[in-house]
Amino acid sequence: MSHGIELEPPRAAAPPDNAVVAAATALLNKLNHGLMMASMVALVLTAFVLTYSVVSRYFFHAPTDWQDEASVFMLVGVTFFCTAYVQSQRGHIGIEALATLLPPRVNAARLFMVDLVSALFCAFFSWKSWTLFHEAWVDGQTTSSTFAPPLWIPYAMMAAGMTILTLQIVLQTLARMTNKTERAA
Amino acid sequence: MSDLTLGALYGAVTLVVMFSGMPIAFALGVVATGFMYFCMPPSSLDTITQNVYEEMASITLLSIPLFILKGAAIGKSPAGKDLYSAIHTWMHKIPGGLGIANVFACALFAAMAGSSPATCSAIGSAGIPEMRRRGYSPGFAAGIIAAGGTLGILLPPSITMILYAVAAEQSLGRLFLAGIGPGVLLVLLFAGYAVYRAHKEYKAALVIYEQGGAKSAYLEDEHFTLAQKVEMLPRVLPFLVLLIGVMIALYGGFATPSETAGLGALLALVLLAVIYGAWKPKDLSPILSSSIKESTMLLLIIGMSLFYSYVMSYLHISQSAAAWVVSLHLSKWLLLAVILLMVIVFGFFLPPVSIILMTAPIILPPLKAAGFDLIWFGIVMTVVMEMGLIHPPVGLNIFVIKNIAPDIPLKDVVWGVFPFLILMFVAVLLLCVFPSISTGLPDMIMGAK
Amino acid sequence: QNATLKISHQFPGGTVTEGDFRDRLTRMFAAEVEKRSKGSLKFEIYPGSSLMKTNAQFSAMRKGALDMSLVPLSYAGGEVPEVNIGLMPGLVTSYEQAYGWKNAEVGKELSRILNEKGIVLISWIWQAGGVASRTKPVIDPDDAKGMKIRGGSREMDLILKAAGAAVVSLPSNEIYAAMQTGAMEAALTSSTSLISFRLEEVSKALTTGRAGAYWFMFEPLMMSKAVFDRLSKDQQATIMAVGAEMEAFALNSAKADDQAVADVYAKAKAKVVDLNPAALKKWQTIARATAWKDYGERNENCAKLLKLAEKTL
Ligand code: NA
Ligand code: NA
Repeated sequence: MSHGIELEPPRAAAPPDNAVVAAATALLNKLNHGLMMASMVALVLTAFVLTYSVVSRYFFHAPTDWQDEASVFMLVGVTFFCTAYVQSQRGHIGIEALATLLPPRVNAARLFMVDLVSALFCAFFSWKSWTLFHEAWVDGQTTSSTFAPPLWIPYAMMAAGMTILTLQIVLQTLARMTNKTERAA
Repeated sequence: MSDLTLGALYGAVTLVVMFSGMPIAFALGVVATGFMYFCMPPSSLDTITQNVYEEMASITLLSIPLFILKGAAIGKSPAGKDLYSAIHTWMHKIPGGLGIANVFACALFAAMAGSSPATCSAIGSAGIPEMRRRGYSPGFAAGIIAAGGTLGILLPPSITMILYAVAAEQSLGRLFLAGIGPGVLLVLLFAGYAVYRAHKEYKAALVIYEQGGAKSAYLEDEHFTLAQKVEMLPRVLPFLVLLIGVMIALYGGFATPSETAGLGALLALVLLAVIYGAWKPKDLSPILSSSIKESTMLLLIIGMSLFYSYVMSYLHISQSAAAWVVSLHLSKWLLLAVILLMVIVFGFFLPPVSIILMTAPIILPPLKAAGFDLIWFGIVMTVVMEMGLIHPPVGLNIFVIKNIAPDIPLKDVVWGVFPFLILMFVAVLLLCVFPSISTGLPDMIMGAK
Repeated sequence: QNATLKISHQFPGGTVTEGDFRDRLTRMFAAEVEKRSKGSLKFEIYPGSSLMKTNAQFSAMRKGALDMSLVPLSYAGGEVPEVNIGLMPGLVTSYEQAYGWKNAEVGKELSRILNEKGIVLISWIWQAGGVASRTKPVIDPDDAKGMKIRGGSREMDLILKAAGAAVVSLPSNEIYAAMQTGAMEAALTSSTSLISFRLEEVSKALTTGRAGAYWFMFEPLMMSKAVFDRLSKDQQATIMAVGAEMEAFALNSAKADDQAVADVYAKAKAKVVDLNPAALKKWQTIARATAWKDYGERNENCAKLLKLAEKTL
């Protein structure tokens, strides 16, 4: 369980035994790493943008009206782009109270079910996000502010992020199924 | 099926899915989607993603990653340790001074970080070994840090207060101010207990030594020269700059709360760069990546929780549950007690973030109807959730302590936090009797509501 | 056939006889329709955005996931640009003109466009608004120069900017605090919201909309067309009839709130002023060159709606 801080430094999970799954995992890890780098830049940029809006209003008497929405878009992007990365380290917290009580075989079945249902949900959510993106793109939807940036931008980030998350869970499930020895994926 | 039966089913299914070990975010989404599929018009399924987006696309909620970044910048740099040593150097002469130093360090750090486990680990990693080296019993040392850490969500900024302000439609600035009085109260209570307990342990150690037993480190004298003391002072300065700078920006009318989050994060990074020379990507990337990981995890839970409560509201579960609570015609204070008890039970298993999001639609309407000030209640609820962070079976801060000091037996930690639980309970009672402990400061600064 | 319809809105919840008139209107509407449809239509009312976020309501109605809503039409401006006409500064300046829209060409055209987008207009509700200020009253555009003002909508922000104001944007639950600290010096909103935000405690001046205003907002009671089409002819007729009957109540309540807000602010020792025709004209001139122009250039529908609306001036 990790909340608020990292309880232990992330260990690089051993690559899956199956060659195809291992290759796909390596590829996804690269993508996740890249998205994490981009998100770090976006987070610092957001802090700059919000600070700039204060400075600009008070020192240059030139209020900005785009800082809130620009920040919202960037942070929505950060959240969804990094959710697969967090999942790759099993960083989405859950109540693991049963883990120690169940016999190993039953526990393995439980973990499999959890991953399967999570993957199904995320796949469904990705699909509906892409539809939302499509709608916003076709209708040219924007937010209703003065700045009025197009809504397809955050929707696309949400859809892409959830799709990568789905892939991540599917790969973790496949790894668990194909690994020769039982171990945490 | 009546609304309440449906509500019971909704709750039961949620429990089963949560205890399956599925990550909280997915579990909430799965349960909500399932009930949507069976009990709501098919077109609802087309609105899920827009609902989640609309809920998340709030600049108030999205200030969370920035508040986390500010905390991480200090917690993961030498700044946290420096703060602790500086206070220690000045306080060690006072009986129980080391304990007080730890409580103060937790409080100061809490005033910069938004979450409790972050506070706990930042101060505890230096504080617990030091207290043990100086003879403090392991349980006592663990208790101080676990309890001191909970101040993270009571003293501003606070992630859970951000969520509460959004859910209860209260001003975040006002809520932040309302947490300061009770935070100071808890600091005093904790510090007072630390003095009492240290004195007791000191005397016990003295008795053992005089009877020819081992000499505890309690009895060793520690000395710092004045030069040493003065040299430590500038190390507290960055904290004060950050703390005061952010306060002035927010309450001086220079910045909105969300702008303050950006300003605070940037200021923290600048201080790191100037004082510790940490400005290279290599230095910053662990801070940034851990902030992003934590906030991603939290925001996904938040987005899904809000979707979860949308389904609960559409199926009229929250309204029926709230109406049922009202129909019990409990007296005002009994109603409060029942609701707080519910928060405690949720606190057995869930982190404060989820508690607020899942209970707000049910508990806020009856409280409003009973005439409670929702700012005041937000603070009381926060203190009760702080208790949840250190009480078994699932107390997040206890896990943090187990991680910092794995050799302290769980039993000692649990007994160590117990007196602090009582002190927090006392604080809740005091807040009920003297609400102005909390509301006095915001009333004074922002005008009576 | 029998149906239970959900009505969502963002205003504070109350009862049929007490509270925010927009909430009361939905409750009166619900009770009357239930009675006349002999119980075949029932309603559940979700006040205070307790069902979904304000901004999600319009889209949910279009998709048939939400039955009814009472919401400022212009909130959906990002999704359907035409609806921005519902809060176009200076385009409506009196209640007489506002309530004339329904049967004028502009109203018929607006109904047609909304119908195409999957929305049925049930009750035409308009509200005037004013400006609360923590410094001096904002009457003329010149008064706004250099002030930090929250316009609250794209079009209002446009005219405020043109008048030289420093436009600020922040969520509505921060308005009070921002006025208190001075992060914001003035806010434009409806009379009813000026009361419910309790800004009189932190304001020194109020400009009312009693004697005409450039801030007139259309916040109709609307229904999802998909849901409406599923009802029987009788039920549809009942809903439309009751909706129309509610308009008199809305008009009286809105006017009463314009007066009430003046009383509340006067009691709090704030300076209460009315907008004069000359100042109104100045704002209108600015709006014509900024907000109207911007709107008319959006698409053909917008240009047409604007032309028809100008005919009602
Ligand atoms: Na804090
Ligand atoms: Na707990």
